[in-house]
Amino acid sequence: MVVRVRIRNAETGATVDMELEGENSVEEIIEGVSAYWEKDPGAYVIRRGRRLLRGQQKVQDLDLTSSEELELIPDPEGGSR
Amino acid sequence: MLGKYFQGMEDVIRPGEPDLDRLDRTRRIGWVDLDAVQRSKILVVGAGALGNEVVKDLVLFGFKHLDVLDMDQVVRSNLNRCVLFREGDQLSGKGKSDLVAERARMLNPDVEIKPLQGKVQSLGPKELTSYDMVLGCLDNIAARLHLNANSYYSKVPYIDGGTDGFRGKVQVIIPPVTPCLQCTMNRSHFRVMEHRFSCTGQDTVFYQPKMAAEITTTSVVAAIQVREAVKSLSGMDVVQHVMYYDGLKGTSDVLLLEKDPGCPNHLV
Repeated sequence: MVVRVRIRNAETGATVDMELEGENSVEEIIEGVSAYWEKDPGAYVIRRGRRLLRGQQKVQDLDLTSSEELELIPDPEGGSR
Repeated sequence: MLGKYFQGMEDVIRPGEPDLDRLDRTRRIGWVDLDAVQRSKILVVGAGALGNEVVKDLVLFGFKHLDVLDMDQVVRSNLNRCVLFREGDQLSGKGKSDLVAERARMLNPDVEIKPLQGKVQSLGPKELTSYDMVLGCLDNIAARLHLNANSYYSKVPYIDGGTDGFRGKVQVIIPPVTPCLQCTMNRSHFRVMEHRFSCTGQDTVFYQPKMAAEITTTSVVAAIQVREAVKSLSGMDVVQHVMYYDGLKGTSDVLLLEKDPGCPNHLV
């Protein structure tokens, strides 16, 4: 099973299409697009509509369909210093 | 209205009287359970940017019993976003938590606020169970995970705030109902943590990057944290489960999470 989804960069609005297999995880999507966009090292999450996806979830368990759009969001960790 | 005059001396009212009551305008918000707010004991962890704003909002709202924990002292670069710090505090030798407590008492002398000097890791279930709610105002993932695990285990609601430049996030964790902070984390979070704690073979080096931080996002995120605390204590529905704020776009989104079946905090 191969699905082609679109990933949106929440910071820039840029998009990229990504081919995924059932065994791929959300973490691999994060790493793939972070590398593609040369993102600064940091914490990121993936949003699907109104849901935030767990990193360990597999594509096959998510029932992702081709042409769906996911969004890469930075996960802010500052606040004290 | 006239009926009140005939019910006894206690019910006599005077013109302008509502303006003598510090919390009159808060009392006008029908759903706020001000008694519950005033009875509650709140722990604020972190007395930096978010901690300053959170304490300011808690005190002005009417909270009366606060503890605030921090291990640091003020540096001058804190002054662009910390409403309770003053020029010269960086030379005072006082801890952030002491200064926050001191200035909070100036906002309302009736507030009982205890400064605690120490690391987040000093807080275990024994310490946390005495609180009704914990507000996390931290700056790193390791400290968040510690507070998350211990407050979840202690069944104490935990409201976590985070900022990065013009972006912010608030997650409301109500054990045992909601997913916890760790449920949302993935390898990218743990990689950041690994980067912060690097082992040289002889020693563990803690790398603390200087992050973008400013007051507008800080105040928005802190205000949401305090508002969610008020809602929870008043029996209102809280944010389910996490709110992301984008100050550049001027948008916020509330996103649903699910519990991670492998998360150790949900195995107990």
